[in-house]
Amino acid sequence: MTSIRLTVFLLLILAVVAVVGTLGFPGLYYSPWFITPLGLLALNLLSCLVKGLPQAIKRASRPFTGEMALALPERGRFTWPEETAAPALVAEALRQELGRPRQKIFGEKQVFFYGRGRLRPLGPYCVHLALVLILAGGVIGKFWGIEGQILLQPGVDGSYIELEQPEKSLPLGFLVRLEKFQVQYYEDNSGIPKEFRSDLTFLKDGAEIRHAVCRVNDPVTFGAYTFYQSSYGVMPSGPIQLEVSQGDKRQMLDLTLRRWVQLPGSETQVMAVRVEGNLQGYGPAVQLAYRAGAGHPQVTWLLQKHPEMTEPLGPFRLALASLKLEYYSILQVKHDPGVWWVYGGFLLLLPGLYLAFFRPSQRWAVVLQKGRKGRWEGRLLGASPRSRETFIARTDRLLDRLQRGGA
Amino acid sequence: MLSQALGTVMLLYLGVALLFLAAGLWASASLNRWGRLLLGAGLAAHTAILLARWWNSYHLALGHTPLTLFSEKLRLVILQAPMSNFYESLVFFAWCLPFLATLTFRRYLKDYLGTVVALAACLLLAYASLGGVDSRIKPLMPALKSNWLLIHVVTCFLGYASFTLGFGVAILHLAQERRPRPSLPPQPQLDRLLYQTTIIGFLLLTLGILTGAVWAENAWGRYWSWDPKETWSLITWLIYATLLHARLVKGWQGRRIAWLAVAGFLAVLFTYFGVSFLLPGLHSYLT
Repeated sequence: MTSIRLTVFLLLILAVVAVVGTLGFPGLYYSPWFITPLGLLALNLLSCLVKGLPQAIKRASRPFTGEMALALPERGRFTWPEETAAPALVAEALRQELGRPRQKIFGEKQVFFYGRGRLRPLGPYCVHLALVLILAGGVIGKFWGIEGQILLQPGVDGSYIELEQPEKSLPLGFLVRLEKFQVQYYEDNSGIPKEFRSDLTFLKDGAEIRHAVCRVNDPVTFGAYTFYQSSYGVMPSGPIQLEVSQGDKRQMLDLTLRRWVQLPGSETQVMAVRVEGNLQGYGPAVQLAYRAGAGHPQVTWLLQKHPEMTEPLGPFRLALASLKLEYYSILQVKHDPGVWWVYGGFLLLLPGLYLAFFRPSQRWAVVLQKGRKGRWEGRLLGASPRSRETFIARTDRLLDRLQRGGA
Repeated sequence: MLSQALGTVMLLYLGVALLFLAAGLWASASLNRWGRLLLGAGLAAHTAILLARWWNSYHLALGHTPLTLFSEKLRLVILQAPMSNFYESLVFFAWCLPFLATLTFRRYLKDYLGTVVALAACLLLAYASLGGVDSRIKPLMPALKSNWLLIHVVTCFLGYASFTLGFGVAILHLAQERRPRPSLPPQPQLDRLLYQTTIIGFLLLTLGILTGAVWAENAWGRYWSWDPKETWSLITWLIYATLLHARLVKGWQGRRIAWLAVAGFLAVLFTYFGVSFLLPGLHSYLT
């Protein structure tokens, strides 16, 4: 369960299944094909943690001592004349090239040592623990979370959430009333909404408890639930009035959504399929299906402000005389106890990645002692289990400086 | 005006790519110096163009929503960063390449590696200018109005850029292995550069995914919804995670790591271009 080969294999399997899922099988991510390798990866992460974390903690909590410094492998030697103030020079060189060294004296030997990246061994385990937390948060949300939608018309109280999975209604335990719903569009005819917002009132036992405004990117929490302004829709609030002209003759015709109506004195039938508040910047519009007799229905758009943009249906010219619209708000409603686990994982992931990749463990020491002829003899020691290259570059620079006399 | 200036920067990057190429072919230090100088000039001009577009975008938005409070204006500045449509993302992606290369491995920004950086930036700008991409500044739709937009886009594209540099290094590595050439950087150096670009890219991609998740949680109440862009960024993340495990734990080096970097970069390309055009979703630039 702990082998790295299994880890790599699982990572690649997950990647492949995820690719297949984007080709039009979104259900795949909740099927055994994805959940099984993901569960195995979670086990793999856990066993990696259990196996390695105690040792990593032990290593990270063991301070770097003079004795350990003496045991580091040698990287180079230097000799200085008797009269130099060698200890001070060495300390200064180390301080400038690496950081403030510590010092210890063993008989005739003076050891100056400096280490960094002691916490490096914790990095990978932080990352793995973070991933376990994120996966756990996902599982908690899946089993103990509630997710659904509420569709609200202005002035109407909502008391049920329409759940997505399984498809059923769940009582909220309180009422949420949509006082007002507003959509604003940009004035550049792009049809892009600028803002939409729901002014909500929460009621419990008939009493108004709280007023709140719910906007996109600005959710509202009440009780155990959070409300997100996810979308909106529009529907006619009365009959859709068409002006049908044939030559000089004009007639009014009332349509209801999704019902076929005969054009006066003809075989042709029309039906309003849907309405839009602002169709691509052209303002209010109705999508119309029409068919002649038993023919195949065709579809066209009818724009209130631009009747000229719709082709006549045979001898009939159509215009939208009156269209009263009402917007309704679509709120995503959620209760997810797992989200804090996920966020906890996110927070742990960052220091973990930093320690694992950008904080290599590196140690150096300079051992100084008087030689037989009274000269100072120094040895530079050092080690770094990973990221050899930066270690070698630093070591070379330090050695060069020491061999040139320390300044 | 700005698009013409951008065209000039594109040509400048092309010139830099040729200079670095010539420097690599004839081992010329002075050509490298010129290349670096001109790349710096191109990056400066590119930065100025980005800032100018940011300024324009901010003033256009101010026209839609007049504001007086300083804090509100500051927030609008953050929201109007020029990174909200496909054109702007191409220009920013192109900017990230020389920026990141200068920041993280200036010492190796020469010869063929310099060519890779300048050429990639040039190609992205060429696509933005000549590929029929809509360059108009569009007002932001409500979902994009979030403080997370800036940090999400910046981390993602810097990550993409780092992986692009890694791809260039991997290609040089594979070329070096096929037919060793003294003019190419030695393999241990390429190996190290590949590792460095990968860890930087991995950190940034992780940050990009996390900020995107927090943003989605705030906007729709879902930190993860298997949107194609999300899924493909996860696929990319999995490939690079594989690379890092293979290198750090199994001690892989050289060719196999280079091939993984190539695969990872293909996933990056698909995450950026493929998903936008082939798979509909939240991040589709065409809607």
